[in-house]
Amino acid sequence: MRTNLFSVGGLVLVLLAIFVTRQVFFTVNETDQVIITQFGEYKRTIQLPGLALKIPFLQTVNRFDRRILTSDAPKAEYLTQDKKRLVADPVTRWRISDPLLFYKTVRDESGARARLDDLVLSELRREVASHNFDLVIGGKRETIMDNVAKSGREKAKEFGIEVVDVRIKRADLPQEVQMSVFQRMQAEREREAKRYRSEGEEESAKLKAETDKQRTIVLATAKQDAEKLRGEGDGTATRVYAEAYGKDSEFYAFVRSLQAYEQFLGKRSTLVLPADSDLFRYLSSPQPRTNTAAAVRVAR
Amino acid sequence: MSYQNDEPQIPQQVLESIEQANRWIKHHLPKILPLAVGALALLWLASGVYSVNPGHKGVVRTFGKETARTDPGLNFRYPWPFQHVDIVSVEQIRRIEVGFRGTQRVSEEALMLTGDENIVDAQIVVQYRVADPSKYLFRLRDPEAALLAATEVALRSTVGSMTIDQVMIEERAKVQADARLFIQRLMDAYESGLVITEVKLQAADPPDAVRDAFHDVVRAREDKEKVINVAKGYQADILPKARGEAEKILREAEGYQQERVLLAQGEAARFLSVLAEYEKAREVTRDRLHLETIEKILPDIDKVIIGGDVNQRLLPLLPLTTPGAASLLNPRGATAATPVK
Repeated sequence: MRTNLFSVGGLVLVLLAIFVTRQVFFTVNETDQVIITQFGEYKRTIQLPGLALKIPFLQTVNRFDRRILTSDAPKAEYLTQDKKRLVADPVTRWRISDPLLFYKTVRDESGARARLDDLVLSELRREVASHNFDLVIGGKRETIMDNVAKSGREKAKEFGIEVVDVRIKRADLPQEVQMSVFQRMQAEREREAKRYRSEGEEESAKLKAETDKQRTIVLATAKQDAEKLRGEGDGTATRVYAEAYGKDSEFYAFVRSLQAYEQFLGKRSTLVLPADSDLFRYLSSPQPRTNTAAAVRVAR
Repeated sequence: MSYQNDEPQIPQQVLESIEQANRWIKHHLPKILPLAVGALALLWLASGVYSVNPGHKGVVRTFGKETARTDPGLNFRYPWPFQHVDIVSVEQIRRIEVGFRGTQRVSEEALMLTGDENIVDAQIVVQYRVADPSKYLFRLRDPEAALLAATEVALRSTVGSMTIDQVMIEERAKVQADARLFIQRLMDAYESGLVITEVKLQAADPPDAVRDAFHDVVRAREDKEKVINVAKGYQADILPKARGEAEKILREAEGYQQERVLLAQGEAARFLSVLAEYEKAREVTRDRLHLETIEKILPDIDKVIIGGDVNQRLLPLLPLTTPGAASLLNPRGATAATPVK
């Protein structure tokens, strides 16, 4: 029976020791930061991880996250300076920098999110309202978000919150505006398609015209050269003829005339010959005549 | 002990064996207890042995504070409540998809505004790995969700600063590079411990509502090329032909030139030869040439030989004997008179 009592007492002792140890020692995780309160009264903040001590039973450990946290504000419509509507949902990254202040002002993360979202929304509304739509979408988006983060950072300090950054996750047009954008895009593309086709026609017409021009020039140049060549040929021939025939122009006229008669007196010609012409002088008499001039009359 | 009324239900045998075991334990307890405690302690210690696979890192926390990193292999830590280990793969390339999941498009993620206020349908894949396991584990809550959001932020920001044509065609590489830098910058600011290894623009297309119009632009561009090619074909067809024709014209002209010169030279030579002979016997040659010519001409043609005064006797003959004149007056032909042969 004695051993039984001993073992029960030992067990109770061990359990008690564990309980007290857990009341005295506690761990602060890498992801945690802690404030110690004594009956609700703030005592100290521990932001470094490791083993820590507190007075058992009297002091309470309040844990907060030390990591960077997210707050994703709901989608909302914003109005830009040029009165265009924009749907955006900002995302805020933040961390608890002063757990006591945080605990006092917003209590927990969901409280902090509500405050942060309000804050960021109003800052963003202000920034967007002072910029044109295209700048919000494109060129100045970073600057705008930096400004929002900067003023948000300033204001979030009073909640013990450090704002890392604020970003617009999505920035879109309202649904009904989207349709008109699609229509505009369609019209733009149709115009572009038309332009391409017309450019093709233009280019083609240019090429064809240029081709026709080239062909005309090539042929004309050839003809020009051809005429020159022909002229040279004619010239040379004329000179050759003149040189040869100039030696006895009367004889040339005689020979050439004979050739011409041969050429143009064909079957359909009728020749009227006087019976007393030289041609027929031997027809009537074998004696030579004194007059030797031969006369031929031609009629067609 | 008042509720022991129920006990008789338990069979006597069982009660006996419990009693027996009790006695046995009481008898042996002093010997068994240290053994049992020792075995438990050993088991507890043995539960501290863990292995780290290749490409992984172990991060050891002692009382919540990071105290060591362990490499692949068999390692030891003091088990709960002293130490805790997280094992993270630092070489595995992980990926997230924005704008689609698998084969399913996610419209609200994919549709985004471009700088020229068009809407483009973009899908992106981000590949990343854990570079700093401590940061990955302890500095940012839910790094994957943060990466997803950062990717959307970066992609929309990048696309928002470009025109739709740049995004879809001309500057795809730049979209990827810019988005990658942007995502990395954000993830560094969030102390995520992640390294972005690659950003791939999976698709950058026109939204469904205007897809046809965009495709028609592509077709129009092809049409343009086609028409131009046809014109080039025309050029390639016409110009060589024209050059050939030009060559032909030139050769013909050259031929003509040569022909003329040669003919002239020939005729001149012929004339000169005849002339040379003629000069030796002028009268005879003249008569001979004359008679030879007439001899050649006369057999084939109609001849009218008139004695006496030609001028007076010719007149009555003319209308009858001139076929040319007759055919002028009577289209059916000159049948009225038969010429004298």
